[in-house]
Amino acid sequence: MAKPLLERQVNLIERLTSSAAIFGGAGGSATDLEGIDGALLRVEARFSYAKRMEKIAAVLPKTFELLGSSRDAHMRAFVESCPPTTLSRFENACQFHRFLLSWWKREAPDPPYICDVAALEIACAKVDADPERPLSDRTTDGDCDRTGSIRRCPNVILLRCAFDIRAIFEPAPEKAVPAKRETPLVIAMPPGADSPQVFEVIPPIFDLLSALDDWVDPYALPAEADFVNLVADLASRGLIEVNS
Amino acid sequence: MAIGGAAPAVGIGYRAAIDRWTRESLHCFDALEITVDHCLASSRTLRSAIFDLVGRIPLTAHGVGLSLGTDAPLDLAYLDRVAGVVERLRAPAYSEHLAFTRVPGRETAALLPLPKTEEVAESIIAKVRTVQSRVPVPFLLENITYVFEWPDSKMSDAEFLNLICQETGAGLLLDVENVYLNATNHGFDPYAFIDALRPGLVKEVHMAGGVTIRDESLAKPLLADSHSHPVPDAALDLLEYTLARQTPSVIILERDDRLEAGDEILDDVARIRARVAAAQSKDTHGEALVGAAG
Repeated sequence: MAKPLLERQVNLIERLTSSAAIFGGAGGSATDLEGIDGALLRVEARFSYAKRMEKIAAVLPKTFELLGSSRDAHMRAFVESCPPTTLSRFENACQFHRFLLSWWKREAPDPPYICDVAALEIACAKVDADPERPLSDRTTDGDCDRTGSIRRCPNVILLRCAFDIRAIFEPAPEKAVPAKRETPLVIAMPPGADSPQVFEVIPPIFDLLSALDDWVDPYALPAEADFVNLVADLASRGLIEVNS
Repeated sequence: MAIGGAAPAVGIGYRAAIDRWTRESLHCFDALEITVDHCLASSRTLRSAIFDLVGRIPLTAHGVGLSLGTDAPLDLAYLDRVAGVVERLRAPAYSEHLAFTRVPGRETAALLPLPKTEEVAESIIAKVRTVQSRVPVPFLLENITYVFEWPDSKMSDAEFLNLICQETGAGLLLDVENVYLNATNHGFDPYAFIDALRPGLVKEVHMAGGVTIRDESLAKPLLADSHSHPVPDAALDLLEYTLARQTPSVIILERDDRLEAGDEILDDVARIRARVAAAQSKDTHGEALVGAAG
């Protein structure tokens, strides 16, 4: 009795997304499947893999560059452990970023600032992503009925980097070697901006923004002399919102 | 828009990487094709750029994420979101590939073929009807290019498309490049394929240019639909032949690689326009002769 079509489709896609089909080698990659020529399946697998990598590289271009000669080894391990689950460029990039994070737990990142670069690229993609998608660093999204309360804008991401990596993103980054220096960054899409913006802020501002996960009465915060002006400034930059 | 006019509109698929160039060259196109999935799961920057085009130039809606051919229920929530995008784009039709890209839990970026059997056609017909019930513009199916065929396929490409379109009333987005590639790779006559399509079936057309893959594991070189190079003359010949038999409302040039070669893209658009003019000239000449004889 013939196998159901879905079962055959599952077999086919599992083969096409397998490391053996993409990179060759063991695993019966050249054998036929469901009566289909194995050599043709390998060609199809490579097409599909190339498209997936294009999507990831579009979101993580600097990270890809910095992986350098180790990129192939990373890619192979990624394919083996993380099959594609979506067409989305953003979701594929997030999947690869999660893979890199687990890799860097086992092996020291090289260069050491690549973790910060990857985190910043993912943060920029998240800020620019679907506004209906909740950002992961907000714990609640509760209502507020108190006029004048403030909170961090939903599409703002805070990133504490171990290196000052901003030079990597300058137009001519060839000679950029980021200095090891704790660098608090804010990634946001200010009003009128057509792409995510990255700001370095002083630690007290970073801490203040970190504390504004939920609506807060600003008068309950330890106030500086010009706190009102500070709130107005942060609001004008699209970093906090004021409940009116 | 020439959509609905005498001659087909000629345009390109919108690509974010050449947004500025596209806007500067807008006068060169009659229409742009929008990938609806770019409006659903992409950056707000991209979506904002796309919706900014509404009203500036006619837009058509093309999908890549439905996976119509997966032997499992359609994602109705996805379809409802597509319907919203199509309405916002004011697109006259919505097109998708006659293919599958995913199974539960796994998705590949490749458009994969289906076994061309009556049983599979029946399943697709039911799904097309579902699409038509949820997306309130005409639905068009696109023929894909394929590297391999399922051994149990019993119908030709044209028979399979004709059957599904006839039963559902769906139109065809004819990818002429795909016909040319499939005919070359799998050894059939592309002109016979065009001849076999029912009159009036082709509503839109895709054109593109690809590359030749040479791999020692393959019995012969394989033409690949990479959307990276100028449209081959053989595909333009096939387009002209098609235009003598079908009346599509729009012809879209697809380009996904080497996008910096703007001159090549504009040259391809001009070459397509020349073939449209040539087909119309033949048509007019033919009509004049018939009129004189009568």
